Amino acid sequence: MSIPATRLPRRFLRRPGRTLAEITTVLVAAAVAFPLYWMVLTAFKPRGQIQSSDPRPWTSTPTLENFRQVFTADDFGRYFLNSVVVATAVVLLSLLVSFLAAVALTRFRFRGRTVLLVMILIAQMVPVEALTIPLFFLMRSVGSAVPQFGLNHLGSLVLVHLAFSLPFAIWMLRGFVAAVPEELEEAATLDGAGRVRFTWQVLFPLVAPGLVAMSVLSFIHAWNDFLFAKTFIISATQNQTLPLAILTFFKPTGNDWGAIMAGSTLMTIPVLVFFVLVQRHLISGIAGAVKG
Amino acid sequence: MTKQSTISRAEGWRRRGPLLPALIFTIVVTQVPFAFTLYYSTQSWNLVRPGSREFIGLRNYLYVFRDSQFREVALNTVILIAGTVLISAVLGLAVALLLNRTFRGRGVVRTLVITPFLITPVAGALLWKTAMFDPVFGLVNFVLQPLGLGDVEWVSQFPLASVMANLIWRWTPFMMLLILAGLQSMPTDVLEAGRVDGAGPITLFRELTLPHLRRFIELGVVLGAIYLINTFGAVYMMTQGGPGVESANLPFYIYQRAFLGFDIGQAAAMGVITVVATILISTLALRLLFKTFTATREAA
Repeated sequence: MSIPATRLPRRFLRRPGRTLAEITTVLVAAAVAFPLYWMVLTAFKPRGQIQSSDPRPWTSTPTLENFRQVFTADDFGRYFLNSVVVATAVVLLSLLVSFLAAVALTRFRFRGRTVLLVMILIAQMVPVEALTIPLFFLMRSVGSAVPQFGLNHLGSLVLVHLAFSLPFAIWMLRGFVAAVPEELEEAATLDGAGRVRFTWQVLFPLVAPGLVAMSVLSFIHAWNDFLFAKTFIISATQNQTLPLAILTFFKPTGNDWGAIMAGSTLMTIPVLVFFVLVQRHLISGIAGAVKG
Repeated sequence: MTKQSTISRAEGWRRRGPLLPALIFTIVVTQVPFAFTLYYSTQSWNLVRPGSREFIGLRNYLYVFRDSQFREVALNTVILIAGTVLISAVLGLAVALLLNRTFRGRGVVRTLVITPFLITPVAGALLWKTAMFDPVFGLVNFVLQPLGLGDVEWVSQFPLASVMANLIWRWTPFMMLLILAGLQSMPTDVLEAGRVDGAGPITLFRELTLPHLRRFIELGVVLGAIYLINTFGAVYMMTQGGPGVESANLPFYIYQRAFLGFDIGQAAAMGVITVVATILISTLALRLLFKTFTATREAA
């Protein structure tokens, strides 16, 4: 990357460097995306081609057979719905709760503000493995009072994921809320809007893009979880979520790779769509959160 | 005077009000269970022997520290986290620099590069185990074949490194995303001024870009480490912690002890040790996070 001192050759040389960078970028993208390509490819391959001794990186006879298998034989639709319910509930609740918390932390001054902020961060630092066992017992006791939130029910997963997604959500939202100028609140107060009205009618819509962007992280977290789904949903197979559903395609008689990959593909689509929709906001949101 | 202070106290609670749901909720679900973990860790309690539960003080900790498997697993966890975080931060920086330029199809390439982070860990781990590392069908051996290395059984011969490769693949996009956010928030006039002053691209990068990115990289490292401590699906799907405990990390080992071995007391003790170690290590990390809080409008 040596740059010659004179002007003319430098402009001349910039081009090859640029082309090289672009080629590298495309190569990196291809390498990174290869497992993904393999997943989709296997999902569309006819059964006979999947475990052949001469694997090919393409197929001339794509089929929906694997997807049909996933939806008919193994109740995949039900698991998919369960995952959607859990992730949606977590996203909506965490939006509401973390928005309120972020407003309190950035807009209002009160004693102990910094301490509370630190407590929220520390909550995020406790590794899940230290909590799995007591949470299991906690959910068992919750279940004897309110079955919907106890073991073997989706509610237990919602509660846990909500708690683990809140700290980061609050932390990121602070940046968005802080970006709304203070003068706006003064103006609203002059116009006779109270604090509650200002928060919901002015602040909330202004922060909405940030809320959506950060909800993608809560969504990914809840959607992908394996540990809690495995420990909390023990016997009620009808309440399992997608990551566990994939396990049902592993059979002692031989793993059904076509179905596994079709299931994985279906599982990735909602996250991918969600992410593509919000990615611009997410990037500016991270920049805002880091700047404070 | 007294009246005013009661008013301000009421006002103080009104201001804290919106924060309370989040605070109470996180405390109930994360801090209270931790108190229980502390309590369980002082009990000799195995679910296989009902009625055998008794207080044994710190003996569980003694057993755990004497357990050579636990020590190996703890070391694995540290290697896994540190290795993954560092390598994916470096790779993430490189990819972010490549993607932070305009070229045709940038949107598509960027989305492609991010997908590993979006794919479910369980599916991602499976793909690495089969599409990449399978000794017969895998891409890695296919690529290495011309070099005469085509018959390595990656997952069984290098289990920890295999899991780490999968994790790096998954976390590089996350790092890249954060660093890209940093690059895009960088004021262009500074770079322009540096260029006018005759600085070469390497100097510009070292003197201007890297200091600006520092906080973003720190944030990525801290957040990445926090999430990586909880890695479970990848280990479960790729190696089941084996052979032996060669590729087990703490979440997996504790899960095994508690829900397959039913030894609640010892599993809880391991959990407590993990938390203490995490807090010790992350005190440093927290301090970094704080810098991002306090140094508010210093870099505009």
